[in-house]
Amino acid sequence: MNPLIGLIQAASPTPATVPGAGIFSSPFLLSLMVWTPVIVAIAIAVMPNPRGRYDTLIKQIAFFTNLGLAFILFIAYNQFQNFLPTAQYEEKLPWLPSIGVTYHLGLDGTGMVMLVLSTLIGIASVLASVGIHERVRSYFCLLLLTQSAITGAIVARDMFVLILFWTAATIPIALLVLGWGGPRRVAATWRLVGYWGLGTAALVAGTMILYSFTGGKTFDMDTLLKGTLSSRIQLTVGIVMLVAAATRLPLFPFHGWIRDVTAEAPVGVAVIVIGAASRLGGYLLIRTLVAAEPAAAHLLSPLVAALAALTVGYAALAALRSADLRHAAAYLALIPGGITALGVAGVTPLAIAGCVLSLFTGGLAAALIVGVSATLSERAQTRSLSVLGGLAPRMQNLTWLMVIAGFGLLGIPMLATFNAELMTFFGSFKSQPIGAFAVAAGLAVAAVAVATLLYRVLFRQPNPDAPGVSDSALSETWYLGLLAGALLWVGLFPSGPKIPGTEVPLFDPGLVNQMSAGLADMASPYSGPTP
Amino acid sequence: MTNLVLVPDVLVVAAAMLILIAGRLGWVPRSSRRYLPAITAAIALVAFGIELWAGAALTTYFDGALVQDRFALFAKAAALLTAAIVLAATDWAAEDSLSIGLAMPLIAAFGVMVAASARDLVGLWAGLELTAASAMVMVSLRRPDLGLRLLVAGAVGSGLVLIGLAFVYATTGNADLPLIQGVLAHTIPTLPLAIPVLLVMSGLAVRAGIAPFHSANLSAGLGGSPLGAGMLLGLVAFAVAIVAIKLTAALVAVSAVYSVFFEVLAGVAMLGGGAAALAVRAPRMRLSYLAVAQFGWVAAGLATHYRAGLAGSLFLLGAFAVAATCGPAVLGAAGGGEEAVHGLAAVRPARAAGLALAMLSLAGAPPLAGFFGELAVGAALAQGGRFALLAIGLLGWTLGLVAAVGTLRVLYIQSPLEDARRGAAAALPVLSRLSTAGVLAFCLVIAAYGVLANPIMGLADQGAEALGLR
Repeated sequence: MNPLIGLIQAASPTPATVPGAGIFSSPFLLSLMVWTPVIVAIAIAVMPNPRGRYDTLIKQIAFFTNLGLAFILFIAYNQFQNFLPTAQYEEKLPWLPSIGVTYHLGLDGTGMVMLVLSTLIGIASVLASVGIHERVRSYFCLLLLTQSAITGAIVARDMFVLILFWTAATIPIALLVLGWGGPRRVAATWRLVGYWGLGTAALVAGTMILYSFTGGKTFDMDTLLKGTLSSRIQLTVGIVMLVAAATRLPLFPFHGWIRDVTAEAPVGVAVIVIGAASRLGGYLLIRTLVAAEPAAAHLLSPLVAALAALTVGYAALAALRSADLRHAAAYLALIPGGITALGVAGVTPLAIAGCVLSLFTGGLAAALIVGVSATLSERAQTRSLSVLGGLAPRMQNLTWLMVIAGFGLLGIPMLATFNAELMTFFGSFKSQPIGAFAVAAGLAVAAVAVATLLYRVLFRQPNPDAPGVSDSALSETWYLGLLAGALLWVGLFPSGPKIPGTEVPLFDPGLVNQMSAGLADMASPYSGPTP
Repeated sequence: MTNLVLVPDVLVVAAAMLILIAGRLGWVPRSSRRYLPAITAAIALVAFGIELWAGAALTTYFDGALVQDRFALFAKAAALLTAAIVLAATDWAAEDSLSIGLAMPLIAAFGVMVAASARDLVGLWAGLELTAASAMVMVSLRRPDLGLRLLVAGAVGSGLVLIGLAFVYATTGNADLPLIQGVLAHTIPTLPLAIPVLLVMSGLAVRAGIAPFHSANLSAGLGGSPLGAGMLLGLVAFAVAIVAIKLTAALVAVSAVYSVFFEVLAGVAMLGGGAAALAVRAPRMRLSYLAVAQFGWVAAGLATHYRAGLAGSLFLLGAFAVAATCGPAVLGAAGGGEEAVHGLAAVRPARAAGLALAMLSLAGAPPLAGFFGELAVGAALAQGGRFALLAIGLLGWTLGLVAAVGTLRVLYIQSPLEDARRGAAAALPVLSRLSTAGVLAFCLVIAAYGVLANPIMGLADQGAEALGLR
């Protein structure tokens, strides 16, 4: 194995017990994560708020709810036993036994990566929403409901429950864009609902096909995704699931919603949509294609690689031609999805590991570029790239953050995206050389696009006719800093910081270590023949 | 104990009769608006409680003409709960007659109860006609012309049903449903048998106002009072579905005859209802089309003609009855145009929440009652290998969801109309303690249906089993 990859992938290639892990366990930890935002949202909805007197309090409640969830997750993350291949913190209750629906939640390494991402993005989106002054109560209720739906979709271990939360995320997001979006919000919302609705229909169809061909007894993923199916059925399900995932991630040609939604949604909503909700697409691909249908994954890998290449190439070219900063950021935010898809197409253990990590890193990088562009265009009072220029001396915080965002998208060393992209490319060059080369070429064009964007916005001669600008406010710096910090942290310490001279983790067992729980099982059908 | 099972029926009929007579004799003063709806809703609620408590007893009455089984328990409980909530949630200022308005939902619920307990063809038909007639009375109160139109359409439907039932009786020599099931058990479907079955099913489709037979019902529903519209959309369709389920179970041996018919009907209703809901903007019209689309899912469950499918349909039917009946009533007079509900959440938060939940449940949005029901039917379709119908349903579902989001936007995000611009067609529902409590109860039922899906689905499954299905 390449020593660089060995260094990145895991400090301990065979995950070992982390001292202190597995001591604490709660029978309802995941339910707490899922339903707390809903309860808080209902409480906010019914609390009296005459003439917006308690708007600030509502914002604080939303923030501290997220902080509390982060604290619970921190415990769960540290107690997570990364050497176990099975789901942890499981909850299983019969819900609709006559058709085989169980309220089954659980967390494996991939789920943990997504949960950490969604919690970070949740905090960032609330901080990014501090500037909301209209209908504050409704806004934060919907934002909390969105978070709950995303968390629910991540921890679901029953396809029915997954469909429930997957669909449930659409409605609050659509209302947030409609209610607090920019001038083209109506078109943006209908596009979002249309594409996501199509994806949801595809997900339901795929699930029902699986349900039917595994005996029609249960929706539990443990049965549904581990059934022995013929290649033809696997292929059918795989294609349908690919459509479902491609509408969310999104992948070319199902990306029609991303430009308008990202550009028109309020910053906090754009961050949560791009950073967490859209990553569910990649998560679905891993769960239902890679982990469940190895034959289909192999058969579809050229198609997925082609979609990945088209997505990255299209995103780079569109960003290059864009005249609007938020549009350009929206296109660039497509790139991490392409990388994730390449990892799926790679169908090797290393590519799959890179793919899982890219869910986290890609979510952060995409949220960061979208967030920083939105904040910058608000602070600069224009989105037009022909008007913006030479902002670096006057927006020092945002300049740094935008540079990090650009580097993050491209996978520059020291940032977490570098680890993910390296694993993905190294893992997929053997199995999908053309696809990987095409994605790499797309990334090269993306580098040009990012460089051009940074130059035009930050470093060229200032435009004397441009409106006045100001640097980011404290809350904006914090939420962007949180995203950038997480990118740097995982980039610098993928397997967590250790007590000097020992292998004992300091306080973070390392995301790369934690994500490995269950990964070997998932990747086992794609391992090469043992000599 | 066994006679207690009849108490809900007696309570409902007695209350309806008393109210009608009192109204006719002028014993219902205007001031009774403050308490009479509450008393009537309480009677329906008590009947519902007794039904749940005593209805578990399996027994027959009137020489076997009526039967109390799990199917009857489910359907009767759903009808009584629907009646109780709609009586409480109705904005009585928007209704034309208090006494008739209070009595007709009770009579309609009684009709459903008769159909649900019926063991023979006559009982089925009588229950259906009773429910349909009470809805027609409600529509005629405000718009006699639409009432007449409904009467003609209803007569066509009823005629088709009667002719079909007569043929079935002639073919099998029985009017008793279990005996019909037994006689047909070893029968090969033939054209002479197919014709009456299709006549019955077509008549039921006309009665229910399911697409493409929806024009008469829809226009009548749109022109009627809120309660009348709700009864037409919800309770009458509920009664039709109950009759259809019982007939489907009795004629299961010749399912090849009606299965395709139901599939086509379901496909048109699911897709057409969803598309039409997206095309229109007036909230009551949108509710109506969403109800048509959801009724299509019920029909899709019937097309499967086996226990899981019928159980799914029955489960969904409970959710449908509550949402479709109460939706227009919750909306009150503000159903004419989209402008009427602009920013309703700001001025009538409980009503807005009720309307939003009704829309979302009818559209099948998670985690509400309609979502669970539609997915249960979807699972049955998948089990039966009907993937084309499932795909059509999912397309209609997507369109319906988009439509529902459109109304949510109007309710919660638009600013309310200024009072000066708010005409009679956009009048806000009058606030009263009872109606607010009724709307909140409605919200609770719609939200709790999913949480309590296990026992409700279990009862629906037992109901399907009681019909002799495997």
